[in-house]
Parts: sequence; C-alpha cells; structure tokens
Amino acid sequence: MPLIERTSMYRGDSLYEPRPAEITAVEKLTADENLYTIRLDGGGPLGHDPGQFVQVSLVGIGECPISICSSPTRLEHFQLCIRRAGEVTEHIHRLDAGDTVGIRGPLGHGFQVHELHGKDVLIVAGGLGIAPVRSLIQYILDERSRFGAFHLLYGARSPAEMLFQTDVIRWRENKDVNFHTTVDRPDEQWRGHTGVVTTLFQELPKLDPHETMAIIVGPPVMFKFVVLEVLGRRIPQKNVYCSLERRMKCGVGKCGHCQANNVYVCLEGPVFRYGELKALREAIG
Amino acid sequence: MRPRIAIFSLTSCEGCSLAILELEDQLLSILDAVEIVNFREGMTERSWDIDIGFVDGAVSTPEDKREVEHFRECCTKLVAIGACACLGGLNTLKNYQDEDEYRAYVYGDCAKYFPTTPAQPISAVVNVDHELPGCPMVKEEFLKFVTFALAGRTFKLPEDPVCVECKKKGILCLYEKGIICLGPITRGGCNAICPSYGAKCEGCRGIVAEDALKAAGVNLREQYDVDLADVLADVRMFGAYQEKTLP
Amino acid sequence: MLDRVLSRKRLLELVDELAHARRIVGPVKQNDHYFYEPVDRADRLDLDFSYCVYGPKAFLLPPTQTLFRFKQHAGTFETTPEHNDEPLGIIGVHPCDVNAIRLLDHAFANTHPDEHYLTRRRQTFIVGIDCPGPCTEGVFCGDMHGNEATTGFDVMCYPLSRDDTGGDVRYGVVFGTDAGREFILYAQAGDPPSVEDERAFERYQIEKQAAFPQQIPYGVDTLPDLLERSYDSLLWQATARRCYSCGSCNLSCPTCYCFNMFDEQELALGTGERKREWDGCQLRSFAEVAGGHNFREAPASRLRHRIYRKAKWVKEREGIAGCVGCARCDRACTAKISSVEIYNQLAEER
Ligand SMILES: Cc1cc2nc3c(=O)[nH]c(=O)nc-3n(C[C@H](O)[C@H](O)[C@H](O)COP(=O)(O)OP(=O)(O)OC[C@H]3O[C@@H](n4cnc5c(N)ncnc54)[C@H](O)[C@@H]3O)c2cc1C
Ligand code: SF4
Ligand code: SF4
Ligand code: SF4
Ligand code: SF4
Ligand code: FES
Repeated sequence: MPLIERTSMYRGDSLYEPRPAEITAVEKLTADENLYTIRLDGGGPLGHDPGQFVQVSLVGIGECPISICSSPTRLEHFQLCIRRAGEVTEHIHRLDAGDTVGIRGPLGHGFQVHELHGKDVLIVAGGLGIAPVRSLIQYILDERSRFGAFHLLYGARSPAEMLFQTDVIRWRENKDVNFHTTVDRPDEQWRGHTGVVTTLFQELPKLDPHETMAIIVGPPVMFKFVVLEVLGRRIPQKNVYCSLERRMKCGVGKCGHCQANNVYVCLEGPVFRYGELKALREAIG
Repeated sequence: MRPRIAIFSLTSCEGCSLAILELEDQLLSILDAVEIVNFREGMTERSWDIDIGFVDGAVSTPEDKREVEHFRECCTKLVAIGACACLGGLNTLKNYQDEDEYRAYVYGDCAKYFPTTPAQPISAVVNVDHELPGCPMVKEEFLKFVTFALAGRTFKLPEDPVCVECKKKGILCLYEKGIICLGPITRGGCNAICPSYGAKCEGCRGIVAEDALKAAGVNLREQYDVDLADVLADVRMFGAYQEKTLP
Repeated sequence: MLDRVLSRKRLLELVDELAHARRIVGPVKQNDHYFYEPVDRADRLDLDFSYCVYGPKAFLLPPTQTLFRFKQHAGTFETTPEHNDEPLGIIGVHPCDVNAIRLLDHAFANTHPDEHYLTRRRQTFIVGIDCPGPCTEGVFCGDMHGNEATTGFDVMCYPLSRDDTGGDVRYGVVFGTDAGREFILYAQAGDPPSVEDERAFERYQIEKQAAFPQQIPYGVDTLPDLLERSYDSLLWQATARRCYSCGSCNLSCPTCYCFNMFDEQELALGTGERKREWDGCQLRSFAEVAGGHNFREAPASRLRHRIYRKAKWVKEREGIAGCVGCARCDRACTAKISSVEIYNQLAEER
C-alpha cells in the first residue's frame, strides 16, 4: 500500500515517571513534621531554584507536591519538610533512612535569585511557610555578600510547632540575619514574642522601600495582614513575592487541578509577585 | 502476618457474600493474601480475633442486633457491605407498612415466634469503619478494599456520581430518552451498571452529597415538573432509611 | 480552494485500504444516535451522521490511561512508561471536533510535551467531514467559529452535492497535511477540481454561512470582556442551585482535558500502574486539598470556573478557543443548565 506510514516505534519519555531517590536521613521536627534528606539515585544535584517543588512519589500509593527546603548551593542532597496530612504524606512518615521514594522535578517557578541579588531582603514566614523559604534563607546565608540587609520574621502557633529548631537557634546567633520569632501560644520556656507574625514588624529598622524585596509565605489569613504591613512601608507591589498552594496532580500544567482563575500554579507559580496576584480573585482568600 | 478476615450475614439475600465468590479469578489470590477465619459460622466460639469483618444484611430482628454487636466486639475493622447493611436496603420497605400486616404476610400464623424490629443499616446499631454499598456490593470495590487494606492504605468511596462513569463509558444518557435517572445524585463506583443496560439508576449506592439531593429537588420540580419525593418513593427499595434521616 | 474532488464511494474504498494499516474509528448509528466506534469495514460507517453524542476524544485521551507500570524490588522501584503507538484512523470528524482536537494538541504539546497523548496523536489520521448546516438544535458552533476547520485534519471533505436517488455524495477535498495528500494522491483517487467544482464550493461556503443561525446575538468576541465584568453576577448562584456537580458537562465536552492521577496496585502488591482518568472542574473534590479545604467549595464557583475556561481563559492562555459550540455540555446537563443561555443572560444583565 502506497501510504507513508510513520510507525517508527516511537517511545518518548514520560513526563510523569518519577526517579528513584534514597532517603539518607530522617529528622523529627515536630509531632507531625519530619525533615527528609534525599539523594537522587546516581547522585548529582537536583538543580532547583529556591521556592520550587518536587512531586514525591510512593509507587502504589500516590504522589504529592512538596517544596524543596534546602538551598541549591548544597549540592550532594536536598531536603523536604513533610507534614503528615493525608494518604501519601502518612505513608512517607512510615519511611526511614535507607528507604526509597520517587522524585519528579524540580517543578514550578521559584524565586529568581538574581532579582534579589544586590537588594535588602525581608522574609516573613508563617507555619509551614518556613519550608519553601528555608531554601532561600540558606541560599542568602551561603552567598551572603550578594545581599544587603537581611530580615527574617517567623511565626508559629506554639514553640512545639516551630520548625527547624536547630536552624532557629543558629539563625538567632547569626549576625548575618536580623531574625525574630513569635508564637501564638507560648509555653513557660518561650522567650520570643507572642502574637501574630505582624507583631514582629516592630523589630524592623527603617526599610529602604526601593531597595527591599519582601517575601511572604504562609497561610492565606496571615498573608493579607502581612501584605498590609509591607505595602504600608512603601515597598512597591512588584517587589513583594509570595507562594501559593493548590491541589496538584500533574505538576506540569496539564491536569488543571492547581488552577487559580486563569493561572496554573504548578507552572507559573508557586512563587508569584504580589502585583501579578492582585488580579487573581481566587488567589488570596 | 496475613490479616484475618471474616464475612457475616444478617437479614439479607446473601447476594453480597455471593458476589465475593464471583470474584473467581482473583479469589485465589485473595485467599493467598488473607486468612478467612469465619464465613457465617455459629456464635458459639468466643475467642474470635478478627482484623476485618465484612457484614451484609440489615439489622431487622433483635437477634440481628445481638449478632452485629458481637461482630463489632470481635473485629478491629467492621465493614458494612451491600445496600442492606449500608442503607437498610430492601428490608426498609417494611418500615413503610403496617407491622402486623407484613409480619402476617411473611410468617403467616407463626408471626408471633419471629420478633422483628424496623430494618436499620448496621451503622444505626454499631460503629462501622467502612461501607461498601450497592445492591449487590460491587465486587471490584471489595477487591480494591482488600488490596488497600493489605497495602496499609485507607479506602475511600468514590465521591463522584454515577454520571461520571456513564460518560467514561460513552453511554447515551437516559434523560435523552426521557427517563428520569438517579445517577446525578447517586454515589458512583458501580461502573454505571444499570444505565449500561438501559435501566435507570435507582440509587442503590446511596446519595453522593446532600447538595445534589437539594439540587434534584429544585431541578425536578422546575425543569421536569416532577416531585423528588415521588421519584424517591419509586425507588424506596434502597434509600429508604437514608431518605428518612436526611433533612 | 479545493485540492481534489472525490465520490463518497471512492472515499470509503480508500478507508478500507487504510484499514489494513490502521484501526478505523468513525460514526456508527445505534438506535437513534451516533457514536464513534471502531469498525472493521468502511461501509459500517455512516458518514451522513448528524452528530456523535460524544466527540472522538476518548480515542486520543482515553477515559483511563496507564502512564507507567511500576515494580518494586529490593527496596527500590522500576518504572516502564506506556505509550500507545497503534496507528489509528478517525473517519468522519466534524469541524467542531477537529477544532477541539487542535486545542488538545496544543495543550499537550506546549511547555512540557506529554508523550502519552502525543504518541497517540502522531499515529492518528483524521478525515474530516464538513457540516453544511447545524447538525441539531441548540448548537452554537457558528458563533464560536467551531464549524470551520482550517487545520487539524489530514483531509477535510466538503459535501458539495449529492444525487437524490440515495446514491453518491461528491466531496470537495482539502488536504491538511502531507499524509492527507498522499492518502488521496498515491491512490490516484478522485479528480482535480474543475471550474464548476470551485464555483460549487464557493456557493457551498456562502450557503453554509447563512445556514447557521446566530445563537449569541451580542457576538462571541464580546464574551471575554463580558465575563470579566460578570465575576460577581448573582447568575452563577442562581443557576448553580440546580447544578448536581455531576461533571457530565465536562466529561462530554470535546475540549475538556483535565485529569486525575492515581495508583492501582495488584493484590500481591509490589507491581501496579499509575494511571490518569478524566476529571472535571464541576466535580466537588476537584480543588480540594488535604484537611478538607476546598478552593472551589460552592457549586457556583465551579460553574463560573468552567464557563470562564470555555469562553475566556483557554483562549487567553492557549490562543485557541476553549469552546467549539457543539452544545454537548448543554445536552448532557440533566439540570438543563445551558452555557449559551448563560452567555446571553449575562449579556442581558449589562
Ligand atoms: C507547591 C506546594 C508546595 C508544598 N510544600 C509542602 C511542604 O513543603 N511540606 C508539606 O508538608 N506540604 C507541602 N504542600 C502540601 C502537600 O502537598 C499536601 O499536604 C499533600 O499533597 C497532601 O497529600 P496526601 O496524599 O497526604 O493527602 P490527601 O488528602 O490524601 O491528598 C490526596 C492528593 O490530593 C492532592 N493534594 C491534597 N492536598 C494538597 C495540597 N495541600 N496541595 C497540593 N496537592 C494536594 C495531592 O495530589 C495528594 O496526593 C505543598 C503543596 C503545594 C501545592
Ligand atoms: S444515564 Fe443516569 S447516570 Fe448516566 S449520565 Fe444519565 S443521568 Fe447520569
Ligand atoms: S463547552 Fe459545551 S459547547 Fe463548548 S465545546 Fe464543550 S461541550 Fe461543546
Ligand atoms: S456542532 Fe456544528 S460543527 Fe459540530 S457537528 Fe454540529 S453543525 Fe457540525
Ligand atoms: S452537567 Fe449540569 S448539573 Fe452536571 S455539573 Fe454540569 S452544569 Fe452541573
Ligand atoms: S498540577 Fe496539574 S496543572 Fe498544575
């Protein structure tokens, strides 16, 4: 038959296939959150930007998106802070060092660090929001000379729920960062601030609004109040960044689950400039 | 260790237990993976120690009630299977009739020796961990439940209505033939078996969400000039108990 | 401009030849309705079909599709992706469905190419059949420009004339791809179009224009702006109170391509498949996250999301219309919620 057949046995890669990776360490951070140190099979860096995420797979169970919470400057492994929240995360919590997970990524659009180079940086994190920005915090501390003043405000519900306690202790002592913490519900030992994260703004010196990049990551309720504080200090909207959370499945802009209005959070986000988000009615609250 | 599994029947046609036997191909793999410790045995043995107990049938007699309470004590996880166990099922029809009448009808002169109570789903009597609804129970769902249990996963019923399965199978919607079908308000997972054979969905897997039922009320009245209550009465077979407990 | 003219009889002969190398799918009548079905012979096809209840999407993006198989051993796992490269011929695709496939092509090819779709698509040969007039009541393909396809097919056949004795249809044929050209020319099928054929084609086009009544009097180009201004309209809520959140509108729509992903394990554990399945933004749990928060809790917000996608967002993102006006959503809705009615109601609110 004179038909030209294009039946070369084409077999492309799959967008959805995870790579095996080994958990090299598990650290319990709080009752519900563990820190996993992970090494890709065959080694090599993940090659991510701070703020990006990976899809973590347990074959037979499923997949879920998790922010990369270590800096790209740490090459030999990467870290994920995972809260037990449902099916997949529950099963991840049953794993130990030496076990294997599947990794797809890095995915999404993270912080473009070159935009932050040469600037003062203000990071405000609430709750689990510290996880995605920890990558950036580590990056700034690793490449400290590239940045001006560095302010870091972190709020948690209670001292027991404060993540990355070892980091927190180090950051407190580190002269390279102006670091303050607050909790909603203090215990006897607590010596930091009490109240919502906006109370920490009193610890900030006068900011140079045009030289300051503000990064806000936390639950939506927190976001609104922090934005008010930040804009109130005349930081232009294009210099304010935040990270969104949505249901995700594919992580590559196909499945539609992560859409917030006309934006695919897994593709254009999770990191957005506040200016871009304003027009998105579904984005905030 | 293989999980210990038991299957019990209360007042029912036992069609659901039969559905398990119909799994033919997979039945052997199931028997490999689990230990069946009790398949409708007597109540004499006291030292039962069961990981998952599946119960079909509604609670329809005082004896049923005692049995199901006993099952609950013996089983770590208790799973209601089939419309009777989950919703009361067929048995609830009697709740709409005069007690003396239906008892005389069923038991004739011996009625006084057979005490019965209004039919209830087992969740009305004891705490139930999972439900696998349907008349009969969907055997593939049972298989999935067992697979999930073996993998340590939590089984969740589908949250989408039957219509989703019609569309995936590419079936002509019965509404296009002027037939009112309960698919839009009924929990899917049955692979739209009734519409596949041209029969309307009668809701044997229960109502998928309250807001769907509410929409049906509005919609049938405004768009079809039909009363939801009449439509439901028509299929009272399965949903009767649930219908009564809904707002 | 036509590339060729061809009789129906000859076309079906070509399809029979094609069937040696490809699985053939096309419109088949079942009771009073048409469905795309695999056939073994071209004469099983009914190319005079009005419309198919569902588009041919299921053959390109199956309702459930394995993405990869996995096997666990020695504490790690292996995956094998699954791609279906079985050659397929879809015969008798109306312009609306051709345009819908164009959108899927774009959506699965852009940014991160999805080989599970694209492998199938590359192996698919499409023979379009044009519609001289609306296939049934309620379609608004004329408004959406869904009734005209200029690309997305291998060949498109325009039914220029038919002899009334129940015999043959004379198709004017346009080639969309090289494969389409080869399909006709290598077989030396049909004839070059004559001057009369070209004139008949011009008349056909003019008559076709007139045959599609306007269903959206305000004009579809106003829809993106109209929707922009209607975000807070009460109409969403008023309409959605009838909505079952059943997803029939999504799943019967040829341009909907959202999906869910899930794992299926074998009973013996250790092996299984990760699959995807059709999903829809009208379904309750579509935007729900762990812990129960739902980013689109209210049925009204889900209805609005779908309508915005169809008439605004998809076009803005992909440059291709998100709705081809086939009205399958409207027909599938047992609550009789109609997208075209919503457009017109919103326009009247202004
Ligand atoms: C960009 C991004 C970054 C995230 N980073 C972190 C992190 O660093 N640490 C952390 O603990 N959690 C993070 N999350 C939340 C985390 O993805 C969810 O807690 C997780 O998906 C719950 O999955 P599950 O299977 O345990 O829950 P289930 O309720 O069983 O969810 C089933 C499936 O629904 C989807 N899903 C459910 N909840 C979410 C959600 N909140 N976001 C996206 N998809 C969801 C997933 O596909 C999940 O597998 C992040 C979410 C996003 C979108
Ligand atoms: S036949 Fe019934 S279940 Fe199927 S789509 Fe129609 S209404 Fe839904
Ligand atoms: S939205 Fe409706 S009319 Fe538009 S393409 Fe989809 S099914 Fe057809
Ligand atoms: S909707 Fe329009 S383009 Fe599609 S089959 Fe009907 S008339 Fe043809
Ligand atoms: S088909 Fe109708 S009732 Fe069902 S989800 Fe769509 S709009 Fe709602
Ligand atoms: S997660 Fe699938 S599109 Fe974003």
